[in-house]
Amino acid sequence: MLYRMKAVIDRDSHQKLYLQLYEILKGKMESGEWTVDSQIPTEEDLCKTYEVSKATVRLAISELVRNGYLRRQQGKGTFVCKRVIPEGLSMFTSFKELMLDAGVVFTTKVLAQTVTMPTDELTLKLDIPDDRHLIYIKRIRIVDNEPVLLQEIYIPHHLCPSLLEEDLEKDSLLELLEKKYDIKITKVQDYIEIESLTSEEGRSLGLPGGSCALLMEQSFYSGENQIMYMRSVKHPERFRFFIELERKG
Amino acid sequence: MADSKMVKELMIDVFEFPHIPYWFSIRQAIGMIKKSLLSGEKCIRPLAVLVFDEKYNLVGTLGLMDILKGLEPSFLKSTTKAQVPAENESGLSVIWNSLFDKESKELAEKPVSEAMVSAKFFVEPDDHITKAAYLMIHNDLILLPVLENKKKLVGVVRMIEIFDELSDAILKA
Repeated sequence: MLYRMKAVIDRDSHQKLYLQLYEILKGKMESGEWTVDSQIPTEEDLCKTYEVSKATVRLAISELVRNGYLRRQQGKGTFVCKRVIPEGLSMFTSFKELMLDAGVVFTTKVLAQTVTMPTDELTLKLDIPDDRHLIYIKRIRIVDNEPVLLQEIYIPHHLCPSLLEEDLEKDSLLELLEKKYDIKITKVQDYIEIESLTSEEGRSLGLPGGSCALLMEQSFYSGENQIMYMRSVKHPERFRFFIELERKG
Repeated sequence: MADSKMVKELMIDVFEFPHIPYWFSIRQAIGMIKKSLLSGEKCIRPLAVLVFDEKYNLVGTLGLMDILKGLEPSFLKSTTKAQVPAENESGLSVIWNSLFDKESKELAEKPVSEAMVSAKFFVEPDDHITKAAYLMIHNDLILLPVLENKKKLVGVVRMIEIFDELSDAILKA
């Protein structure tokens, strides 16, 4: 089964309510119960059906819109988009991020390695309770004295509290997670888009604020549990991506 | 009180309190307090956020009063008792009310470092609790960080536990 169908919200689950609702509604579209171009029930109806607040419904719908399942039409309602997930072709995917000028050596400068809590949009990006502490890492990658990549990383503190003391300018974060903390990464979800740099991001990357850059958001999972969210802002002239699809079996 | 308790016997885990880096905004700290402390099942008092630097060193604490002071427009802050009679002071709040949407919302975007109380005073786990009481009294503090070897943050000691322990000693006497 490609996805888990849940018909009801489990209030005892550690998973946030909006994410449970997201899965339920996604399941309705993937199963064909909600057909392409059909209008979905109103917020009020969804609140009543699933006994959740408007805020929970809004968050779930916003994520479905963001991920291409739904589209909003002002004054008309919310509609199911054309299927965005390819069907019938089961493929292994290989994704590589390539820096232009292959073989180039980069250095890492850690700007922050401290602790915070889920704030603002982070609540949407990380599937953990709001009162959980997060290790927050901010680092910059430098090539030929030029900053090319700005990363912010959030990891639930309880998974690897000693990570705060690691030398992340020398050691690979992913290797530490897998080898030292025994957190096996089993799935990574990537979203890539173009974004306008904030003035602070622009300063960090040596570009004017407002100029375009590549934004990559990655959610890392170990089994069913999300173990990391990484937000990378990349210098637009220094990266390209390579995706290889290989038919299974 | 020759056999008074040590700080380490009363301190509580730092992870009972929300953490925030000093450059995050007051608005973000407010969000944390609302989500972590006011709406959660557990409610640790005093309601405070611990403020850290880039290398996870404690640099301050941010309580509810500090946040409210941070949202206060500058013209109210500059007022002193010498300038305005005490009975008229609260009248200025009417102006604050009219400016709240604009000025206080702008002030909420300032970094928490501008509103926090700097962490200048510490105790060690093996200090007597009277030292913690002394520092609280003389510096108007409601909690104190507990540092091991003057460096590693290992806990927080609060006035409520210090008061509870000292008052027990008084009542037993």
